[in-house]
Amino acid sequence: MKWDGRALVVPAALLILAEIGARAGGPSDSVAPPSQVLTAFVGALGDGSLLIATRDTLASAFGGLAIGGAIGLALGVLFGALRPLDRLMEVTIELVRPIPSVALIPVALVALGFGYRLEIAIVAFACTWPVLLLTRAAVGGVEPRLIEVAHALRLGFVARIAKIIVPAALPRIFVAFRLAAGVSLIVAVTVEIAVNPLGLGAGIMTAGQALRPELMLAYLLWIGIVGFALNAVLVFAQQRLFGRAALVGEVR
Amino acid sequence: MNDCSARAGEALIRFSKVDLAFSNRKILEGLDLEIMRGEIVCLVGPSGCGKTTALRVATGLLAPTAGAVAFGGAPILGPRRDVAIVFQDYGKALLPWRTAAGNVSLALEAAGTPRAGRAARIAALLAKVGLPHHADKYPSQMSGGMQQRLQIARCLAQEPAALMMDEPFGALDAMTRQELQDEMLQIATTTGATILFVTHDLEEAIYVGDRVIGLLPQPGRIGIELKIGLPRPRDQIATREDPEFLKLRRELYDFIKSAER
Amino acid sequence: MKTLLWRFASLIVAAAFVAAWQILANLKLVSPVFLPGPDRAWAALMHGFAASNLAAKLGGTIAHMLEGWLIASIAGVALGALIGSSRLMRAYFGPLLEFLRPLPASAIIPLAIAIFGFSPAMAVGVIAFGAIWPMLLSTVHGFAAVEPRLYEVARALHLSRWQVIVKIALPSALPDILAGLRLGLTVSLILAVVCEMIAGLDGLGQWVLVAARMFRSPDLFAGVILLGAIGFVGALALNALERRLLVWRAPTRG
Repeated sequence: MKWDGRALVVPAALLILAEIGARAGGPSDSVAPPSQVLTAFVGALGDGSLLIATRDTLASAFGGLAIGGAIGLALGVLFGALRPLDRLMEVTIELVRPIPSVALIPVALVALGFGYRLEIAIVAFACTWPVLLLTRAAVGGVEPRLIEVAHALRLGFVARIAKIIVPAALPRIFVAFRLAAGVSLIVAVTVEIAVNPLGLGAGIMTAGQALRPELMLAYLLWIGIVGFALNAVLVFAQQRLFGRAALVGEVR
Repeated sequence: MNDCSARAGEALIRFSKVDLAFSNRKILEGLDLEIMRGEIVCLVGPSGCGKTTALRVATGLLAPTAGAVAFGGAPILGPRRDVAIVFQDYGKALLPWRTAAGNVSLALEAAGTPRAGRAARIAALLAKVGLPHHADKYPSQMSGGMQQRLQIARCLAQEPAALMMDEPFGALDAMTRQELQDEMLQIATTTGATILFVTHDLEEAIYVGDRVIGLLPQPGRIGIELKIGLPRPRDQIATREDPEFLKLRRELYDFIKSAER
Repeated sequence: MKTLLWRFASLIVAAAFVAAWQILANLKLVSPVFLPGPDRAWAALMHGFAASNLAAKLGGTIAHMLEGWLIASIAGVALGALIGSSRLMRAYFGPLLEFLRPLPASAIIPLAIAIFGFSPAMAVGVIAFGAIWPMLLSTVHGFAAVEPRLYEVARALHLSRWQVIVKIALPSALPDILAGLRLGLTVSLILAVVCEMIAGLDGLGQWVLVAARMFRSPDLFAGVILLGAIGFVGALALNALERRLLVWRAPTRG
């Protein structure tokens, strides 16, 4: 990958401007110079608070991803493989899908109270959709020739799914999970910021309430890094595992 | 509007010792070429001989790395308003979100034609290329041949002194190709436009051209120049059976064979 | 005709789910504190509009969502056009945008609170910030992906720079821009709800949170249904807009 140094110019310039501007403005509740942010970051890293918060957020995110992904995958394969079922479920999906996952926070709150389960439930709901829709599209997009081969070999329904359809759709299914992983992190942090007293979201809110802008920005920076790293790792895995096969069909 | 100063009998387009190099690879070398007013000149050659590159230099889209290109006596500094380019990939050269009329209109809008006169001119141009009833169709609703005709209509809207055609009929089926060859010859006769025509189809080149120039590859330079003495107007059956046609075809074919080695 | 039949059958299936929900609630298999039947949720909805301020809350959420979304749309498309149409700009800004893409917009909320306090301005700021990303990125992609051949056609026809942007780049990027607008609207709704929950602003976010705290589940479900309705109508409206603007699209499979 060609390294383009120009990519660093704007961020570096912004950091320098922020440093100068924040120092010139004097102590404030909302902004802090990048140097202080860095110090706060190292501090939070050192005393373990950052890592514990990260562990909590990621645990909830991946827990929700696992559940939502499993449901979405199962339904996506089912709807993709059985067109009639898909058409029957159309209206139901169209009506449930637009409900924002955060709208269900109070529902989960009433049922589950604060804690991991609340977050996992909301993340699961949010992750089901991208996995369902993209898996359905992936299964629907399996080369018809392969389906004909399955029929010629007289494979039963389950065998057809397991041996032909899922492997053929696997690259795009992986992309679905990669996108859902991003969603899981975003939704987990959002739930924490909104109501849940754990994880990185809670950390950033607490820092804000304690009028410690440098710690708040440190958390913000860390959340960005975690999100970026997660996506980068998955993109790398996707390239290694599937190469060009996963790029079939533009996914945004 | 032809504002070039070339008189009949003078070269409209002149290449003088044109070189073109891309990152140390010489695509064209020492190309000397003259195209007279009203002539139809065809460029042929094996793959990679630089014929498309030579055309792009003539259009002004590419500048030569050495030598000079002139249009009507003046050096070519970029694409000219009175030079129209017909691309091979018509699908990519048309605006998919505009109707046929809209696509032709683009050329008129660029030239600053007042809105009042546009509709009539568009209708006339579409009629000239055989698309009189397709003004409101989108390119995606038209066949390949129709799309290429549409592109030609847009080019004619520029009232060009010269038409640069880059394998314009290469992506079409044989029947459509022949229809468009004849239509193009018709247009050339009525408008008197000068045409530089790149093709890999030797018979097409002989059928359509007044002169056929064959390029040798790597680097691209002139290998053969044939004057086509066949009578006009050309006819798809009669001309192609003419013994002169067959003789030229054999010469050109031998040239390509030896050039490919 | 066949399509219509399938749609109708699909509607029946959805109604069956609602009926199943009602049966579940009637049998009290789940405590009515958590799961009210659709009848009670509907009653709460009607009551909320008639006797309580549910309409105002609905209006509040819609207002927050649209304000932030509109600001983000204009800024996102304008900036996206600027960055996307210039290879130089893309080289300088592209990687930064890619780094910021996975950032949860809600993480900006504490910062916004520090700057704006618990006010509608905070909400609009957060929503605009969150919604601008999908629009910016989609627009950049749309402008960057303009067919290069069309730029050559533009050179051949001597189109002015302004004409190139308006007549070629913009229409070409329109499908991507519309996709970005749709995504942006979804993000706007989510952030509106979150901000209302946190800052207690006048909106459905606050309504549902209060209902939850007071264990008034019919009110809670009524609010959730309305939020789903907002999402539904928004998506419908943008789909209709897209169909009108992109009427030239060649019919693609599925």
